[in-house]
Amino acid sequence: MLQQFERTIDALEAKLAAPQGNTPRRRYALEFARLGKRLYDGRHPVAWCGVVAPFDLLNAMGFTSCFVEFVGASLASSGVVDTFLDRAEQDGLVPDMCAYHRAVAGAAALGMMPVPQVLVATSCPCFAGQATMENLARLMERELIFLHVPLEQTPEAVRYLVDQLESMITQITALTGRRLDPDKLARTIERSNRAVAVIEEVFELAAHIPSPSASRELKDFGIAMPLLFGRPEAIELAQVFRDAFAGRIRSGGGNGVTKERVRLLWIQNRIQFREPLVKMLEQELGAVVVVDELNHVTWDPIDPQNPLEGIARRMISNPFNGPIESRISKLQALARRYRVDGAINPCNWGCRQGAGARGLMQTGLAEIGVPVLNLEVDCVDPRSFAEGQLRTRLEAFVEMLEAKSSPWS
Amino acid sequence: MYFLGIDIGSLSCDTVIIDQTSGIVASAVVPTGARNVKAIERSKADAMSLAGLIDEDIAALVSTGYGRRRVAGRSAAVTEISCHARGILHLLPETRLLIDIGGQDSKAIVFDGEGNVANFSMNDKCAAGTGRFLEAMARALEVDIIELAQLDRGARGELTLSSMCTVFAESEVVSLIADGAEVKEIVAGLNRSVANRVQSMVKRIAPDLSCLPVAMSGGVAYNEGVVRSLQTQLDVEIAIPEKPDIVGALGAALVARERALGQGEKRRPTE
Repeated sequence: MLQQFERTIDALEAKLAAPQGNTPRRRYALEFARLGKRLYDGRHPVAWCGVVAPFDLLNAMGFTSCFVEFVGASLASSGVVDTFLDRAEQDGLVPDMCAYHRAVAGAAALGMMPVPQVLVATSCPCFAGQATMENLARLMERELIFLHVPLEQTPEAVRYLVDQLESMITQITALTGRRLDPDKLARTIERSNRAVAVIEEVFELAAHIPSPSASRELKDFGIAMPLLFGRPEAIELAQVFRDAFAGRIRSGGGNGVTKERVRLLWIQNRIQFREPLVKMLEQELGAVVVVDELNHVTWDPIDPQNPLEGIARRMISNPFNGPIESRISKLQALARRYRVDGAINPCNWGCRQGAGARGLMQTGLAEIGVPVLNLEVDCVDPRSFAEGQLRTRLEAFVEMLEAKSSPWS
Repeated sequence: MYFLGIDIGSLSCDTVIIDQTSGIVASAVVPTGARNVKAIERSKADAMSLAGLIDEDIAALVSTGYGRRRVAGRSAAVTEISCHARGILHLLPETRLLIDIGGQDSKAIVFDGEGNVANFSMNDKCAAGTGRFLEAMARALEVDIIELAQLDRGARGELTLSSMCTVFAESEVVSLIADGAEVKEIVAGLNRSVANRVQSMVKRIAPDLSCLPVAMSGGVAYNEGVVRSLQTQLDVEIAIPEKPDIVGALGAALVARERALGQGEKRRPTE
């Protein structure tokens, strides 16, 4: 993995240095390849985490922290995930389980995940993530710290999570000797807030009609950017996107790839391996993914002097947490803000978050005139990718949307 | 001036030629086989020969079906979802929900009076509920696919196949034969199995069928046992056009005509 990340860094740096090679998505890929390198080079204390863990707080304690699903996504995007999925099956995991977590289990079993100093599981977004963290803790002989994220944002619930965060800090110090410097945390949170403010600008620009964002430009952006929160790179990277998008709007609009005919919302996570469908949608049909469900700032700026409460609120506000009505209202808000014509839910195979409530999400978006196409895709395992069938469904969906009047006209 | 539609599916390649008034001039259905380009050529040549036309008579050609991008000389490739909706509406104008069961796809499509698709569902990456499933079962029963369509007559309908998977269902059929089960009961069980799979897809997009006249297309619409079973499970009458296997190609020809005559323009871009 280390060599893979190093090769990616070298290749991206060369491309970024070339004339016209400095694109926002390449800068993004470079920063996350660098994060991958820090995770694997053995020179940084590592914290493997659940998706909504407080990465800025862990950064302030000196950890390179990351949610484990990042490993599954990286293996899928680099085209080598099969070996790890096979190993997970050999170890007894059922193939019907989410392949993000199966890939992580396989990678851990094959020694492809560094043993961390700390493991921080979160109850949100899913049970499979929790089970994966428990398995890692057992395999790597590390104590598992568990954060139970309450389902609703009441004062009592926030207090409950703040108490857990305080315990987590104490536990990490006991386990690793690393202490949390309140001043350093305050500075880290200030940087988080600044990054989020710029990210909000990026999203505001992406909502422009036509969108300056190409379909794959903000792929995984909302879920991955928190890994850099508290670090200067988060602000710089967000600024690169903001400036590029603002420039495209000033020079006439559009993403420079296609003439936008249909605007799409992508629910949950993208397909991580190389596939031709999103490009086909964009370049052949003019159907642009202008927003992803997790490209959404759902929390207020965090008070640097009282950071744990704001961090707790941020964790609770994740769209995947709490009652489905909350998730649906967030999806509706995105659909309105971006004025999308339709939404695509990949219904990631084995994922209860993606598939369990698909009918309710479909109904919720239909209430505001936004049709949803439910696919059945394994977003990590390319071996069950039925390209022809998916192509037909996507094309038919776009044909259907083009024949309809816009929900916003 | 004539318009041509080609529907290249996994089992058959269908061609329909219509005139300026949308009247069907000729149609042809040939097996796709292993080489779909050959099937396309043959199907088109058969229809052209029947109509007595040459290439210069064709103003526009629209292709559909899984091999739609392999059709040379097309003006456009349009999905079978849109084409089936257009085709059935032309043949049976009251229809608002179409069940199409083809070789490897089964689908349910809801549309308005102009053929604009409002919703659709398709089978996933599994042959259950498709023509392939029935083909495999006919093989297991050692009967012709045409013959299979008649074999459930007189069945009491007491036998249920538990396997959804085509491969396992084939094994189950072989076991049932070995156990002495009557062929008509096995076939009735197979029909219910296909219908059960398809009715779920229909209900997903149309929970209430009371105001949606239903029709069926695709080769499986010739199988009266499956149609009967579907009617029972959905509790509706299902209309079948005279040639259910050319509905997609007809829809493609209609789209070709509309586009060539400048009708049915797409919605304007969002900017």
